[in-house]
Amino acid sequence: MSIVLVGVNHKSAPIEVRERLAFTEDACAAGLRSLVDGQIVREGLIVSTCNRVEVLTETADGQLSDTTERVIEFLSRSDVLPRSFYEAHLYTHTDDQAVRHLFRVTSSLDSMVIGEPQVLGQVRRAYSIALETGTTGRVLNRLVHHAFRVAKRVRTETGIGANAVSISYMAVELGKKIFKTLEGQTALLIGAGEMAEHSARHLVNAGVSRVLVANRTEEPAARLANELGAEAVRFDQLSDYLAEADIIICSTAADHYVITEPMAREALNKRRNRPSFFIDISVPRNIDPAVGKIRNVFVFDIDDLESVISSNIREREREAERAELIVNSEIMQFQQALRALDIGPTIGALRQKLQDMARLELTNQRKRLGPLTPEQERAVEALLMSTVNKISHPLLSHMRRSYDASDAETIQAWRDIFGLEE
Amino acid sequence: MRSLLLGVLAAYVVAAIHAVLAFINKRRALQRVSEWAMLTGFVLHTAAIVADWAIYGHYPLFYLRETLSFLAWTLIASYALVLYRYRARPLGSFTLPLVSVLIFIAIITRPEPSGSAEASSMSTTWLFPVHTTLLLFAYAAFFVVFVASIMYLLQERELKLKKFSAIFHRLPSLTIVNEIATSSAAIGLTLLTVGIATGMLWSSSRDGRIWHNDPKEIFAALTWLLYLSLILYRSTASWRGRMAAWMGVAGFALVLFTFFGARLMGGYHVFG
Repeated sequence: MSIVLVGVNHKSAPIEVRERLAFTEDACAAGLRSLVDGQIVREGLIVSTCNRVEVLTETADGQLSDTTERVIEFLSRSDVLPRSFYEAHLYTHTDDQAVRHLFRVTSSLDSMVIGEPQVLGQVRRAYSIALETGTTGRVLNRLVHHAFRVAKRVRTETGIGANAVSISYMAVELGKKIFKTLEGQTALLIGAGEMAEHSARHLVNAGVSRVLVANRTEEPAARLANELGAEAVRFDQLSDYLAEADIIICSTAADHYVITEPMAREALNKRRNRPSFFIDISVPRNIDPAVGKIRNVFVFDIDDLESVISSNIREREREAERAELIVNSEIMQFQQALRALDIGPTIGALRQKLQDMARLELTNQRKRLGPLTPEQERAVEALLMSTVNKISHPLLSHMRRSYDASDAETIQAWRDIFGLEE
Repeated sequence: MRSLLLGVLAAYVVAAIHAVLAFINKRRALQRVSEWAMLTGFVLHTAAIVADWAIYGHYPLFYLRETLSFLAWTLIASYALVLYRYRARPLGSFTLPLVSVLIFIAIITRPEPSGSAEASSMSTTWLFPVHTTLLLFAYAAFFVVFVASIMYLLQERELKLKKFSAIFHRLPSLTIVNEIATSSAAIGLTLLTVGIATGMLWSSSRDGRIWHNDPKEIFAALTWLLYLSLILYRSTASWRGRMAAWMGVAGFALVLFTFFGARLMGGYHVFG
C-alpha cells in the first residue's frame, strides 16, 4: 500500500489560490465520494481550512503516480479551475513523507502560528466527515488516530502551546502570573472598543468573576456591559473603581493620560498594596508610563505586549524543534504498526510455500508417471497449481478479511500456523 | 549508620536530578520520580536518625555530622509541606540539591568518638533537644522564605522589565510565592521564639544565666528581630512585595551566619 498526500498551505500558495481550492464541508463529502473509487484511490480524506487544503489518499502499491495525477485532476473540480492556476503551488508527499506531513499538521508544527490549538479540531472534523462518507479504511483510520496521538504527545511534552501569542490571551497569562488565579478577580475595562471586549471575554473565560466597564459615552458601555454580563460604571468616578479592580484594560481614543500616577498611587493605597495589573492597548497611550514605576503595579503597553509576544513565538519555535524529534520517533512506530498489519507479504509467502510443496511432491513422484510429453508435463503442473489455489482460496480470503478488520492477533495466528516470518 | 546514610544520599540525589529536569522540561513523569525518590529517602533518613539515637544513646542532634543530617531532614519535611499545601514544585529544584550536599558532607565528616560524656550529659534534660530541634526547623522555614523571596524578586524584576526568561514561566505566580514567604516566615519566627526561650530555660537551669553574650546568641537575637520586623512590616499592609522579599533574603544571610559563622567565632555555643 502507499499513502499519497497532495495539498497547498499558507507557505506554498497565496490566499487567492487557497480560497479557490478550499472545500466546504458538503463539498468535502461529495468530493470524497467521487475521488475514492476503491480501485486506484482506496481511501481518502480532505482537510480544508483557511490556511490549507490537503487531500490524503491511500492506494495500492504501484499506483502512486496514477493516484497523484488523479488527485491533482480532482482539485480542478471537473475543469472549473485551470490546472495551471494551482499546480505550481501544490506539494506532493508520499508514504513516510506524507505521514510526517500529517503528523506535523495535526501537531500544529505546520501552522502559521506554531502551536495554535485549532488545527487539531479541524483535522478531527475532516476525519469525521470522511468517516461518515465511508472513505476511510484500515490505513487512514490508523494513520489519523496515530496523528491525534502524536498531537497530544507534542502538546503535553513540549511547550509548543505554552506561551501566549495574542494580546487578548497575553492578558490572561500575565494575570495568572501575578495573581495565583483569575477566579474571584475583578477586571475594569476603560473604553468599550472591540479589543477591550475581546480581552475581557478571555478574562471571563479564565474565571474573572466581576467586570466593570467605563466609557466616556455611556451608551456603548451599557451595551458592552450587557453583552458581557458586566456592570457599567461612570467614567467620571474612575478613580473610585480603580481601587476595586485587579486587572485594568485601557483602550480609549483619548489623546491624554486617562490614568495618572497620583490616581494609581491612591488606588494602591486603598488596595493595601495588593498588586494591580494595567494593560494599555491604546495609541496614544492612556496610562502615564510613570505608573509602571510604582511598586506592586505592573503596566504593559501595546509595545511591551508585542515584544513579549514575539519572544514567545521564538520560544515556541525552540519547542517546535523538540516536537520534531517526537514526530520522527512516531513515524517509525507507525511504520512498525502498519508493517505488522500488512497482509501482502504474508499471503504471497503462504501461496509460495504451498506451491513449493506441490512442486516438491511432483519432483519426488515424477518417475512413477513414466515418460510424458512436454504438453502433458505442463498439464500436470497446471493441475497441481490450480488444485493448490482452489484449496487455499477460502483460506486467503479469510486472512484478507481479518486484515481488513485490522485484527493483528488473527493475522499473527495465521503466520504462526504456517510458520511464516513477518 | 553511614551505610544507611549512603542510601539516603542516593535517593536524594535521584530526587534532586529529577526535580531539576522536571523544572527544565516540565515533564510530569520526572516530577513523580522525584517525589517518590524523595519519599524513599525521607523514610530511610528517618530510620537512620532513629538508629543513631538508639546506637549512640544521645539525641542525634549534637555533633556537626548529626546536625547537618538533621537539618537536611527538616528541609525535606518543610519542602514536603509546601508541596502539599501550595503545589510549588519548583522549590524542589532548590531544596533537593542543597539537601544532597548536606548529606554528602555529613557522610564525609569524621565520626566522633562514641559514647561521649558531653553529648550524653546534654541529653539528660528534654529542654536541650527541644531547643535544637525547634531551631533547626526554624532555619528550614527561613530557607523556604529565602527561596520564595528569590522567586518573587526574579519574577517581579522580569515583569517590570517586561522581558521574560525561560525560568519565568516555570515559577509559581507572584501571589503564591508571596503567600509561601509570609506563612513560612510566621512559622519560622514562632519556632525561633520558642526555640530561644527553651534555650534560655535550659541555660538558666544549668548555670543560672540565660544570656552569655556569645556570638551565636547575639546573631540569633538579630535574626529574631529581623524576622519580627518582616512579619510586622507584612502585616501592616497585606502585601509589601519587593521590600519584604529583600528582607527574606537578608534574613537568611543572617541565619547562615548564626548557624555556621558563630561556630568559627567560638563561645558558649561551641560543642563537640
